Amino acid sequence: MKVVVVGAGPAGIRAVEQLVRAGVTPTWIEESPDGGGRITQRPPAGFTRSAAALYGADAGRARRLHATLDAMKPRTDWRPDTLVWNIRPQDRVLHTQTDGAAQAEVPYDALILCTGAMDRVLPLPGWTLPGVTTLGGAQVALKAQGVGIGAKPILVGTGPLLWLTALQYAKAGAKPALVLDTTPFLTKAWQAAGMMWNAPTFLRGIGIMAALRLRGVPIAEDATPLAIEGVEGATALHWRDAAWKEHVTPCDAVALGWGLKPESQLADLAGVPFDYDALQHNWVPRRDAAGRAPVAGVYMAGDGAGIGGAEVAELSGARAALALLADAKLPSDAALTAHLDGRLRTEARFRAALERAFPYPAKLAARMEDSTPVCRCEVITAGELRAAAAADAPEMNRAKAFSRIGMGRCQGRLCGTPAAEVLASALGVTVAEVGRLRGQPPVKPIPLQQPAA
Amino acid sequence: MRQALVIGGGLHGLSTALHLARTPGWQVTLLERRHVGRHSSGVNAGGVRRLGRALPEIALSVVAAEMWHGIQALVGDDCGFRATGQVKVAESAADMARNEARVAEVRALGWRHEEVVDQAEVRRLLPAVSPHVVGAIVTRDDGSADPMRTVMAFRAAAERAGVTIREGIAVTGLARTAEGTIRVQTDQGDFEAERVANCAGAWAPDLAALAGETIPCGTKASMMIVTERLPAFVDPTVGATARALSFKQTASGTVVIGGGHQGRSDKAAETSTVLFGSLAHAARIAAEIFPCVAQARIVRSWTGTEARPPDDMPVIGESRTLPGLFHSFGFAGHGFQLSPAAGAAVAELMARGATNLPVAAFSQDRFAVPA
Repeated sequence: MKVVVVGAGPAGIRAVEQLVRAGVTPTWIEESPDGGGRITQRPPAGFTRSAAALYGADAGRARRLHATLDAMKPRTDWRPDTLVWNIRPQDRVLHTQTDGAAQAEVPYDALILCTGAMDRVLPLPGWTLPGVTTLGGAQVALKAQGVGIGAKPILVGTGPLLWLTALQYAKAGAKPALVLDTTPFLTKAWQAAGMMWNAPTFLRGIGIMAALRLRGVPIAEDATPLAIEGVEGATALHWRDAAWKEHVTPCDAVALGWGLKPESQLADLAGVPFDYDALQHNWVPRRDAAGRAPVAGVYMAGDGAGIGGAEVAELSGARAALALLADAKLPSDAALTAHLDGRLRTEARFRAALERAFPYPAKLAARMEDSTPVCRCEVITAGELRAAAAADAPEMNRAKAFSRIGMGRCQGRLCGTPAAEVLASALGVTVAEVGRLRGQPPVKPIPLQQPAA
Repeated sequence: MRQALVIGGGLHGLSTALHLARTPGWQVTLLERRHVGRHSSGVNAGGVRRLGRALPEIALSVVAAEMWHGIQALVGDDCGFRATGQVKVAESAADMARNEARVAEVRALGWRHEEVVDQAEVRRLLPAVSPHVVGAIVTRDDGSADPMRTVMAFRAAAERAGVTIREGIAVTGLARTAEGTIRVQTDQGDFEAERVANCAGAWAPDLAALAGETIPCGTKASMMIVTERLPAFVDPTVGATARALSFKQTASGTVVIGGGHQGRSDKAAETSTVLFGSLAHAARIAAEIFPCVAQARIVRSWTGTEARPPDDMPVIGESRTLPGLFHSFGFAGHGFQLSPAAGAAVAELMARGATNLPVAAFSQDRFAVPA
């Protein structure tokens, strides 16, 4: 039986671990040079900072994950630096590209997609200036390369990553000029009870917020980012505080991020249907609690199957592999399965509270000025998108046909979320009703000239 | 007012509806199963080409070309049409000989739009072309247009002319009434009309079958790839004499590469799938003819579903089993340019029972109907 695992983050590592334990030798494909995922991102070989310095409270988990990762590589067909850019579900074949060139077709009988997540952004005037990146990007720069996006960055958005990244920058000596959270303090406080479903993580979050205040990092909650100012690059953020007073804070870089969205293009190409998850404010590939897709042979785990965070990724990765083994009538650990199901149920309650505590500011997206570029690849403004709505585009794919939104290099991965908000508000319907951009191969750009494998 | 129904909201259906609605005395309703421009009309390469047409198609495409040059007057929008020319390059002496024979054949019929040019002229027209290209056939005032914009322009013009467009209605049956009109059964009730046009693209043969008529016809799912944006390096749309290629740089700088390489279509599911094996072949041809794209990257690919009769020529004509029903489908990947003229011809057939436009060659009578 040919099993392929796509992704070597926490979910992929724990999935492979269970497969190997059952005597299966999967093909293991990872887009980056090494596994480890984003939260526990590994620096390149030769970098010497300690796990404690890199991952803080996550150091123990990172060390355990990386140890399993390294132990599993020789027991699988390990293919790093390899992008899966297409799936032909009728033939059960993946198209891959290694080192940006060599092409291969990889057949599979069963597939576990552990494709992770990416930042959700909210375009604002000036967001396409040099020096503006995402929170995830800012964090990976620090963890993997040991460089900051700036010496006095401003971090904007909402969610745990906002606060965690801010503390990591402060500790690294690049004290943020401002941490702007669009969520009011009370919205977060109100969810405290629900977040006790994962008390250690919740308390750690409280600790991070306290540590930032202690370090004197300026913090604004319930605030609104208005525009990023700059000519050659970002030099200041215009924003409005909870009392509706406007401020200008100088900076040398800006990171944006309002939670995460699943990187689920491969699930889309594999033929998995999607449902709108109102709580997460995301389109999520359909799967059962164990990670089985309604498409035979396809399993999903980790943030790519719906945002759950790094801990859930580990649990769901193992769980999806156990589901695959059980479906294939191979030996699987019943006790572990029951344990994982219990943990996943508890974590789902924590996640629900967390999503309520840090909501995506849909209203800001809907109110975006006409001149703000939503799609930065094709430079399509909110106004052009509203014109498409007026020209009878009742859903995202028609808006794409009319306006070119999502036709550029990112294929709507970045602009899809805010564009749906702008379109929905222009049409006066819910964001679920305008749908989502259909996935098309290639998932990421590939060379026109394709050398044979 | 006499009632007419057009089934299919692609470009041919819209054009037919537009022309018929502009004929005094006709009330036209267009039925579309999904939404206007859903399949190949909205996603084709937008070639406005007479160059290289099969001989029986030339006359209609020449009429269409004149209509394209006045498209603003026809539909109130320029449809993104740019007369940047079409060039079919020759890569060998054998290609050149073939080109000369072709152009001689076309000229013998009285047409003057195709012209053989030498290496110096092809280099002037296509400065970025590979040095191995020795010449070309050129049609200087052919060009290309924006397919989705064209669809929307025809839709808007049709609605202004009084056409009622109903999307989301699927036709389930066709029958003759006692009064001699045609009843069109749909999933949302019956419609009745004196004349009905079958412009249902890949699904048109199924409609013909509902009327008891068998017209041999397969499907086609031509694939296209689009590169990231590149600096402007080519104006005309480019093909090759001996190899399957269609190559065009859009105003935004992306390069659209096609050439009839086939994906997989699933008519029942109304979808089609890109097959990268043959697209890689198209990409290789493109990079050989324009070396400057060799390093470019593909950002998108797509395909659309279309009807394809066995001889790759359209079916235009009145039904043999249900008079009053007029077919217009099977354009097999080269119907975009023909759409203004074909719509005018079908509208005339519907209104008067005859047309002076050159569509006689496209009657389904050319196929031996199986017993």
